[in-house]
Amino acid sequence: MKLTNYFDISRISLLLKMEFCRSRKAMLMTFVITFGFLFIGLILESVFGFEKVIKSHQGSYAAALIIGGFILSSLTFNDLSNPLKRYNYLMLPASTLEKFLSMWLLACVSWVVMFTLAFIVYALAANTIAHLLFSNITYQAFDPLGKIPMNAIRYYIVLQGIFMVGAVHFKGYVFPKTIFALLLFSIVCGIIFYITMSDLLQLNGEYINEYSAIKGTPLHKAWIFTQWLFWWMLAPLCWGITYFGLKEQEV
Amino acid sequence: MIKIENLSFSYNKNYPLFDQLNLTLPSGNIYGLLGKNGAGKTTLLKIISGLLFPKHGKLDVVGFQPKDRYPQFLSEIYMIPEEFSLPSMKMENFVRINSPFYPRFNYSLFKEYVNEFKLPKEQKLSNMSYGQKKNFLLSFGLATDCKLLILDEPTNGLDIPSKSQFRKILANAIHEERSFIISTHQVRDMENLIDPIIILDEGQIIFFHDYEQISRKLAITKQTELPDNNVVYYESSLGGYTVVKENTTMEETRMNLEILFNAVVSNKEKMNELFKS
Repeated sequence: MKLTNYFDISRISLLLKMEFCRSRKAMLMTFVITFGFLFIGLILESVFGFEKVIKSHQGSYAAALIIGGFILSSLTFNDLSNPLKRYNYLMLPASTLEKFLSMWLLACVSWVVMFTLAFIVYALAANTIAHLLFSNITYQAFDPLGKIPMNAIRYYIVLQGIFMVGAVHFKGYVFPKTIFALLLFSIVCGIIFYITMSDLLQLNGEYINEYSAIKGTPLHKAWIFTQWLFWWMLAPLCWGITYFGLKEQEV
Repeated sequence: MIKIENLSFSYNKNYPLFDQLNLTLPSGNIYGLLGKNGAGKTTLLKIISGLLFPKHGKLDVVGFQPKDRYPQFLSEIYMIPEEFSLPSMKMENFVRINSPFYPRFNYSLFKEYVNEFKLPKEQKLSNMSYGQKKNFLLSFGLATDCKLLILDEPTNGLDIPSKSQFRKILANAIHEERSFIISTHQVRDMENLIDPIIILDEGQIIFFHDYEQISRKLAITKQTELPDNNVVYYESSLGGYTVVKENTTMEETRMNLEILFNAVVSNKEKMNELFKS
């Protein structure tokens, strides 16, 4: 078993270079459209908003990072959706692990870093322009290390793998198909959750909104375990499924 | 180079395409893979390239199991399918980002082929004609210095000068360390290029012989009247018949691949008998 059959850092950099080269125009367009919409939103909020202080850009950052990232993750194995491009992608002399890692680096790490950097620049520029237009409104600076951005990044890293699974398994219209699959899954989970917890949820005819009612019970332990699964297992599981899905691809 | 043992493959559980197929292809040849539509030519090429996985059987292609799709394996084979997609970029860019994946890529050789095919260097690949795209892929594939080049219907869409250019370039590019497999229906374009001939029918290799063996065993002649004996196959043609018969005189006759193919497919048993002896 030769390690170079599975992993070679130079091939990963070649794959990244190739992806950047192929998609640079699309990436640029995505950034321009995203920040264009964000800026229009900011202006509209300034015109029609009643507040004198526009809250920092943290909410828009979180929404754009997550939605944009999910769309990007859905596009990661775009070549597999096209029967003619599949040949080229599968025959490219790089291992499945390298192909997976290069896409993961692009859709997960690069996206977070590049989007955050671009957002910092955007927030500075947007604040300056908007302040010139609406001098009576105070625009707060964007803090990438704030609670909301950091939480958004955490959630994005955990959840983006689901869209990579979709990218490998669905042929075409990956994003809507993945959303639909997630909806179905959520409905099923919701029903199971309701059936198991309905008694507790309606103690004395009222919905509980505190932990205390179930604290110490096996259900509480199960809930803690589910949280642990979400934060620590969901992403690796999705990445694993993506990797094996990619490995089993045929033409 | 390629060793296939007891290969089984099916798209549908009830209709196996290959059942216990065996094939050994040593290096240094330009193999011609012929067969009717649906015989499994393209499927076999995809299995050899690791693009489809066999259900059963052992495969060894240039020292690897194709299913693993190891980078080393993928850099030793290059497949040009019948239909393909090229990105919207100039050939220079394509070569710059793709060639580093092939350790022995020969850029000067690539330029030579591009010049021979008279490909437009400044045009985007996606804007080229089908034939130009095919010639570009062939130039790139040959320049990778891969051990196995697989071509599926390579002359489809090529104009007459390109076809002869194609034959010339391919004939010059073969050496002892490498092999080409050409799957085609355009057998006339491949005459004097492919040797040996492999004929696939109903999931089995029904014919696998080189020109020397074929011309030793068979004679293809044009006759005004049908001979009485030793006829394997005949077709009526202008002013008489084209006849495939047992070569009893040991005289070498001009090969006609189309007739040979029809003869093999329509008279498998007789052919088998003839080549066994």
